[in-house]
Amino acid sequence: MEILQNLGTGFAAAATPINLLFCLFGCLIGTLIGVLPGIGPIATIAMLLPVTFSLSPLGALIMLAGIYYGAQYGGSTTAILVNLPGESSSVVTCIEGYRMAQKGRAGAALAVAAIGSLFAGCVGTLLIAAFAPILAKFAEQFRSPEYFSLMLFGLIAAVVLAHGSVIKAIAMIVLGLLVGLIGTDTQSGVARFTFGVPELYDGVDFVPVAMGLFGFAEIMSNLDRHDGMRKMTATIGSLWPTREETRRAIPAALRGTAIGSFLGILPGGGAVLSSFAAYTLEKKVSRYRHEFGTGAIEGVAGPESANNAGAQTSFIPLLTLGIPSTPVMALMMGAMTIQGIAPGTAIISDRPGLFWGMIASMWIGNLMLVIINLPLIGVWVALLKVPYRMLFPCILIFCCVGAYSIANSTFLIMMMAGFAVLGYVFTKLSCEGAPFLLGFVLGPLMEENLRRSMVLSFGDPLIFVQRPISLGILVLALGLVALIVLPQFRQTREEAFQE
Amino acid sequence: MSRVKHPQDFWAGILFLIVGGIAAWMGRVYAFGAATRMGPGYLPTVLAWMLIALGAFLIIRALLESGPGIQASLWRPQIFIVAAIVVFGLLIERVGLAPSVIVATIVASMASTEMRWVETISLAVGLAVLCAVLFVKLLGQPLAIFAWGF
Repeated sequence: MEILQNLGTGFAAAATPINLLFCLFGCLIGTLIGVLPGIGPIATIAMLLPVTFSLSPLGALIMLAGIYYGAQYGGSTTAILVNLPGESSSVVTCIEGYRMAQKGRAGAALAVAAIGSLFAGCVGTLLIAAFAPILAKFAEQFRSPEYFSLMLFGLIAAVVLAHGSVIKAIAMIVLGLLVGLIGTDTQSGVARFTFGVPELYDGVDFVPVAMGLFGFAEIMSNLDRHDGMRKMTATIGSLWPTREETRRAIPAALRGTAIGSFLGILPGGGAVLSSFAAYTLEKKVSRYRHEFGTGAIEGVAGPESANNAGAQTSFIPLLTLGIPSTPVMALMMGAMTIQGIAPGTAIISDRPGLFWGMIASMWIGNLMLVIINLPLIGVWVALLKVPYRMLFPCILIFCCVGAYSIANSTFLIMMMAGFAVLGYVFTKLSCEGAPFLLGFVLGPLMEENLRRSMVLSFGDPLIFVQRPISLGILVLALGLVALIVLPQFRQTREEAFQE
Repeated sequence: MSRVKHPQDFWAGILFLIVGGIAAWMGRVYAFGAATRMGPGYLPTVLAWMLIALGAFLIIRALLESGPGIQASLWRPQIFIVAAIVVFGLLIERVGLAPSVIVATIVASMASTEMRWVETISLAVGLAVLCAVLFVKLLGQPLAIFAWGF
């Protein structure tokens, strides 16, 4: 059993006291920002990215990963108790979870969410351990044309899976690609779109972009709404679900895990989409679908398992192909680059301790999170009482200090302010930030692989369909396009995002 | 402009059109190259025109199909949030970390109509201490807590 041996290596690397501490720290921060509405994992990881510079590579990745999946746990707490999504991936949990809380079953809902997440997290971790090495081995045959096709596939998937208007999602990707090309062209040395600003010669740093688009734009939109005092459900009740509740939650958690694991691998998928899809699925297949809207436990177990499974498996494309499929993964890639690790097929063979250590840490982290979230629930509930007027200045200050410490440069702060304005305009115009960030990160990679492919084929674009693997990926991409065009799917997609 | 039926798409289209236009105009000086050897201007030019086309499409569609309007802004939050970031950027190198954090926190807090002075000032001081301890002492970031040296 090679996998057991590998996991053994992983646990040995991850279970050192210092790495356990990083894992705990990441999980705590993740739960914290998950519980607090108005700050998500993207802004948080961006904020902490400069800090990881002084950590060991494994420690840094363990901590950042912990923030991401920790946020999936924390988000459900707010959704169930306050009827506010602590995290965008917990939006659907509000529907059934809050109803359950009103019926006095908040404790059971919290427990089912946490245990479902733990189960999904374990499955997700095992899936990465089982399939990542196979995929990486397969991807060793990939050359520039395959990489280009794969990224194209990723961008198309991001459009299909994005909320709202398809045209606007495409435009946001193109805009992101263009912004990604700012800086010195690696092949010709020409400075492009730099407006003569020397700080832009190395390209636009993505930390201020992510903070501006996802951190500050969110704050400004939140302040536009007077949400007033949050109403909190008084009692949490027993944490133990009844036998009946358990019986109903198990199949939903299994279905949620399956759908989340699958959607997490897809580019643009990740946690948010997984939870939406799982809720829609439960509403269609559950034997108790008539109870939906009145506090059906399936509506908590399914989406909460799905978002955690999706959060885990979304690491697969990054760890095996070196392609970030979601904005969070783009930041993880940034963290690896800071540490001098090139994400890609070689990670598993070159840095087994790092790869397996990170996977083992996810399993440990999931276990920690159940303890952090269930017995300590009171602590997080108390945090929810902190008013937003005190919370947002803290977020702002941490983002500013974080952005400044990347390069001790005032320019980055000003750029962040610019992207904050841009991000706010985007929200006003219902333009999604995620496709933009994905295009932004993939822009330079795509250009490089496109150029290399063209040199390889002497300018013949047919190279992308003549190579079998590349062709296969493009056929899949075409299938996705067909999905958007087909009226039936279009309807389902709109329905799914309506909820 | 009463003929705009879908304000969100209309203004998004305008935004894409302008950015695409600027990119195409700036990109015209970068060598386009050929498919075999793509120059630095190849992809930017292609993308810029795509953006222009998408923007134009959105604008035209916004004149024909109706959609949701743009929610009004309060302006106060936006102005103070952006101002707080800019103030932090202007101050950090001149006065150091702690004073910049205090000033930026106060400016940022004004974004909320529920702001209370005593609370805000305590928060500002608390954050300044936290940042100094966390970023400078614990994480060893090369930042001056006070620019005049301590």
